[in-house]
Amino acid sequence: MSGRVIVITSGKGGVGKTTTNANIGTALARAGKKVVMIDTDLGLRNLDLLLGLENRIVYTIVDVVEERCKLKQALVKDKKNPNLCLLAAAQTRDKSAVTEEQLKDICEKLKKDFDFILVDCPAGIEQGFQNAVAGASEAIVVTTPEMSAVRDADRIIGLLEAKEEIKSYKLLINRVRPNLIKSNDMMSVDDVVEILSADLIGIIPEDTGIITSTNKGEPIVNDEKSLAGKAYNNVARRIIGEDVPFLNLEEPQGVMAKIKKFFSGLTGKEK
Amino acid sequence: MILANLYNKVLGFFRQTEKEAEESSKDTARNRLRVVLMQDRTNLTPELMERMRKELVELLSKYVEMDKEALELNLEQDGDQVALMLSIPVIRAKDEDEIKAALEEEDKAKEDTEEISEESEDDEEESSENNDENLDDNEISDKTSENDLNSEEKTKKADEEIETAQKEDKDKNKDK
Repeated sequence: MSGRVIVITSGKGGVGKTTTNANIGTALARAGKKVVMIDTDLGLRNLDLLLGLENRIVYTIVDVVEERCKLKQALVKDKKNPNLCLLAAAQTRDKSAVTEEQLKDICEKLKKDFDFILVDCPAGIEQGFQNAVAGASEAIVVTTPEMSAVRDADRIIGLLEAKEEIKSYKLLINRVRPNLIKSNDMMSVDDVVEILSADLIGIIPEDTGIITSTNKGEPIVNDEKSLAGKAYNNVARRIIGEDVPFLNLEEPQGVMAKIKKFFSGLTGKEK
Repeated sequence: MILANLYNKVLGFFRQTEKEAEESSKDTARNRLRVVLMQDRTNLTPELMERMRKELVELLSKYVEMDKEALELNLEQDGDQVALMLSIPVIRAKDEDEIKAALEEEDKAKEDTEEISEESEDDEEESSENNDENLDDNEISDKTSENDLNSEEKTKKADEEIETAQKEDKDKNKDK
């Protein structure tokens, strides 16, 4: 087996890298793939929380690097899905505890046993980013339709293009708010794609369900009804190679829907 | 109460159509982002752009008489490439003698830089006075690109530039 190593990165913090990582990883595992996620955000680990695995961590990536345990011992199995594993970051160390070479080495070893190795990258463009990218050959750049996130994504794309090892990168636009786009108060997906001129792999709508799913430590892809969950599932299917159309995030446009909306607007104002 | 809301809704609808003439906040964001990304991608500060503009004016005025104030130099995005767009409203093509004189001056300048630079400044002032009456609607568009664009794209760009240059010229004529 020779797995694909995909780094999930963004430049700017808070755009949803870790959420994206947890959901794509879970979705891929649900599709029957063997998946391992590596949290490289040393000192600020969170991927374990989103997966609800925070109490199961015994060894971290730093323990592996410093040879306190074997690589396989440090892999934490997911509660629900035996196909899914996490290699957690150390919370008490900083980014210098692991080098680019060491991460590359870990990725190489994991490739033999897994279909997908998802690397969760820290925010910023410093050493933490360089480390996370070191072992990867593909990248997913997460951004939102906001100026600062798009600008930082542009910077990241520039850095990824300069890296020989990165064979391809795709854009994932997170926290899209269709009603704001409709009223011309938010850049549309097309605007962002045009500005960054990158291939799109996913459009994820803003969804309050993300907050509750984080609270519970359960990725939203497990919720069949959630629109964001559906969108993340589609991203995973596109990664596998399926041709999945993008979700239509616009509200239903039927006559009844319009009338309904009109009246709900009227009653809403009377409060 | 419902009637009042209905009235507001109808009014709001008309207001919205009026609003469309203004720039939406999304467009503002997009345009600001474009400009800032151009600068990020090229490392050209506004000061450097201004300097480049001045040097280009100096170079090109040897060959053509142009509206120096209206010369525009901008970075524009073309797919994933960045193009340097130069738009010059040409007032008058210089005749052979003038070009020859300008070139000779330049040759002299190589021998003695300080002396000649003063002379050529004087020349520029004189010629711009002469040509104010001589307004000709000739527009030439010039364009250089950092990257190799194919010729199709080049002509497309050039056409766009001519259009904008002509619009500018019309505006100026109105003012007069």
